Amino acid sequence: MFLQTLVTGLSIGGIYSLMAVGYSLIFSILSFSNFAHGAVIMLGAYMGLALATQLHWGLGLVVSGSVVGAGLLSVFNERVAYSVLRRRRAPSLFLMISAMGCSVFLENMVYATIGSRFYAFPEFFKRKVVDVWGSSLSLLDLFAFTVSIGAIFALHLFITRTKTGIAIRAGVNDMTMCSLMGVNTDRLISIVFFLAGAFAGVAGVFLGIKYFVYPTMGWVTNKAYIAAVIGGLGSLPGALVGGLILGVLETLVSTYLSSVLRDVFSFTMLIALLIWLPNGLMGRDTEEKV
Amino acid sequence: MKMRVEKMKKSIVFCVAVAMMFLLAGTVFAAEAIKIGHTVSLTGGASMWGQSEANALDMLVEKLNAEGGILGSPIVIVRYDNRNDAIESVNVARRLAGDKVIAVIGPAQSGNSIATAPVLERAEIPMIVTTATNPYVTVDQKTEKVRPYAFRPCFIDPFQGTVAARFAVDRLSAKKAAILYDVGSDYGQWLSKYFEDAFVARGGEVVAKEAFRSEELDYRAQLGKIKELAPDVFFIPTSQKEAALAARQARDLGITAVLLGTDNWGSPDLIDLGGDSVDGAYFVNLADLDDPDIQSFVAEYREAFGAEPVLPNPIMAQDALIMIVEAAKAADSVEGPKLAEALANLKDVKVTSGVLTVDPTDHNPLNKPAVIQKVDVAKKAFVFVEKYQGE
Amino acid sequence: MDYEINVVMLACINMIAVLGLAVFTGFTGLFSLGHAAFVGIGAYASGVLTYHWNVPFFFALPAGMAAAGLSSLVIGIPTLRAKLRSDYFAIAILGFGEALRVCLENLSITNGARGLSVNEFSGPGWILGTLALSLLATRNFLKSRFGTLFVAIREDPIAAEMAGIDLFKMRLLSLVVSATLCGASGALLAHRLAFIQPVMFTLTQSTQLLASVIAGGIGSVSGPVIVAFVFTALPEMLRSLNMWRLPAYGLLLVLIMIYRPQGLLGYRELSDLFRGRAR
Repeated sequence: MFLQTLVTGLSIGGIYSLMAVGYSLIFSILSFSNFAHGAVIMLGAYMGLALATQLHWGLGLVVSGSVVGAGLLSVFNERVAYSVLRRRRAPSLFLMISAMGCSVFLENMVYATIGSRFYAFPEFFKRKVVDVWGSSLSLLDLFAFTVSIGAIFALHLFITRTKTGIAIRAGVNDMTMCSLMGVNTDRLISIVFFLAGAFAGVAGVFLGIKYFVYPTMGWVTNKAYIAAVIGGLGSLPGALVGGLILGVLETLVSTYLSSVLRDVFSFTMLIALLIWLPNGLMGRDTEEKV
Repeated sequence: MKMRVEKMKKSIVFCVAVAMMFLLAGTVFAAEAIKIGHTVSLTGGASMWGQSEANALDMLVEKLNAEGGILGSPIVIVRYDNRNDAIESVNVARRLAGDKVIAVIGPAQSGNSIATAPVLERAEIPMIVTTATNPYVTVDQKTEKVRPYAFRPCFIDPFQGTVAARFAVDRLSAKKAAILYDVGSDYGQWLSKYFEDAFVARGGEVVAKEAFRSEELDYRAQLGKIKELAPDVFFIPTSQKEAALAARQARDLGITAVLLGTDNWGSPDLIDLGGDSVDGAYFVNLADLDDPDIQSFVAEYREAFGAEPVLPNPIMAQDALIMIVEAAKAADSVEGPKLAEALANLKDVKVTSGVLTVDPTDHNPLNKPAVIQKVDVAKKAFVFVEKYQGE
Repeated sequence: MDYEINVVMLACINMIAVLGLAVFTGFTGLFSLGHAAFVGIGAYASGVLTYHWNVPFFFALPAGMAAAGLSSLVIGIPTLRAKLRSDYFAIAILGFGEALRVCLENLSITNGARGLSVNEFSGPGWILGTLALSLLATRNFLKSRFGTLFVAIREDPIAAEMAGIDLFKMRLLSLVVSATLCGASGALLAHRLAFIQPVMFTLTQSTQLLASVIAGGIGSVSGPVIVAFVFTALPEMLRSLNMWRLPAYGLLLVLIMIYRPQGLLGYRELSDLFRGRAR
């Protein structure tokens, strides 16, 4: 029973991590919580769904299509809703309100145009369950978990090893200095938003396959945001660790204490953590720009 | 600039004129027709049933008007969207009261109905909810007195829970049951209680009663626990979305128990969403597409709208309208108090779903049957299994 | 007429809640995604009193306000003392709201998810009276020494702290005042609708309150209150456009941030406009 709980917790946590990365990435460079990320994930899922059901593409193509689509959407979102504020050096509160606005707008536009119906992806995987030391794990979960970890690792390599990655890290430290040194900050920020959107695309397709596609599916991203905060907003390894910890702890609480009280527990843990460790487990010290 | 102002002026004048015409048309029309209110979710999560309900009512009104309407006056439906929201439902109820409707059909959800009931009671307008199955829609929970203006054509949750438990014990020979419900929904909270009571009373044991919160999608933590306890039946009193998710995740975890559901499962997309995992599951419903009693309705609906009706709401809404028409005939009046009295004493009325008699003590239909349906994924259909008569 | 009056009354009830949030967000620069919880506490505390013990509304209303005010200490003391970043604070208070809903859904005294059918007590007199009193009290409060301190904190928290203002105490005070007003709004709402259910107090409601405050102008009282009235009454009049209400709110937030971050009135009051004293 304990092992099964752990396996389930890790597979839920893997999805949290994949979504949390988007929050952390954007926070690391612009120091605000991009609450529109959830809506981008939702739209990524709809794009994947359209490719899978209308054009009958395979899983690989569906994921790539949704990665590109959600990535571009995320860049577009930044251009329209954040770039003016960013240039004006508006306080991060304004960026966050703008992000909230985008999230409310996108979610309810889908409601008003596509409708509130639930959609399921076609079955890419035969429902197959593998046995891991006596506990069952579905093949899809195993696959999703591997892809999540792989993608986060690849992103980590990209940021630490490539030239663009180094520019991004420099931007994290000092945006003004960076642009004085001749780095094109607008391009840099677009790349960051594209990457965050790409992760949203992958997460959207996985969420859609695992659960359903519908307008308020972005709600689960609140949990991912909590995971990012636990790990420390702005830290990629933090997002991974935070997601896994939250997934496992939530599953343990539902199994051994009470499934109803699970949310009370997650949010209390969040508040406690924010108070004792405001920068999360792996976050760096950030002062809010006011 | 001046041109633009001129243009704007012209268009404003035009708009006002059009609005006046509509208003005039409205009043002329209203003078001779009898208005019946319809409060329904046309947007939001329950819109699929709401749209179908609206279609079915319009279809029946046309037919009734061709036969002479109510006491010789044509019927007009005054319809407002309550967005499946309690505050909005109260607004709609007050608006309908202001529109001087003789009776109200809907809402379809118990919470919205309980919010609507006092407003219409004060205005002395009878309301007939469509699929609100909570007992406290027609009876005041605090005083335990019947609400004089609230009626319904559908069965109530304690009966539904009992039917599910009876079926589990008698036909599935179940000894151990597990329950998974949505803690944020009054529907699920109470149905699990009624099922549990009835199942235990028949000698069964409820080994696990687990809950989740409304927006949650992953129930594997709860399901892992249920798997350990190896139940024979797994009762899931939720809507089709949660049911399909729970079924998929349960099968992934290797839970083999027979799945048992309630009337909220009865949506055509249950099979699309659940796939193979819901194959062979049973659920209680208010009406069945293959029920011989409703075949003419189903055919008519198909012809008019080119789609299957989303049961059970369209049928229940038609039943509600027929109840109003019959009560008006019996009372020879459309005044609220007389109409309500006639509604409470309706006997053996031929309605779309069968024959209906209202129990004057609690305003619930007597002998309202419940059907058990089996999900058949290969045929993409809900197959009729058994009909339980009311107690 | 009953229907029109009801819409106006609901708008007035909403105005009281927005007034509460305006005091908090507008004058401390903190952003709350959980104020619907305080409305819920006010509604349930007063509703439980009148439902189970037949307490007169005259006492139940202040009890609802007190309950909301006191409960704000539970979340306010730890989070405000820790001086959380504004986005952390927003998510922490969202968590508070969610945790509260779990409790409302599970307690037997609140009748769980089924909701409470209370009696209808708050007629137009109660609602308009409470609104007028709230407006008056808020105006005087903000004109007092506290108001000046709030503005100082909003404009530059660091400088304010160096000048010897106790940031924590002032922020907590504004949260308690704001929660109390939301509690009043909740108590009136419960006894206007005569029915309350936990699902009435969710993130969507918090977002709508916040949208009113931001659109009305951070730092203004009259701005948000006017907008709150328009936001509740307008969609009722244009029912056919109802589906587009929420997308419009979202778009409005983005546009306001880009083109007019100060909102409708922003740091000014309606009375200033009449005096022609533009900033």
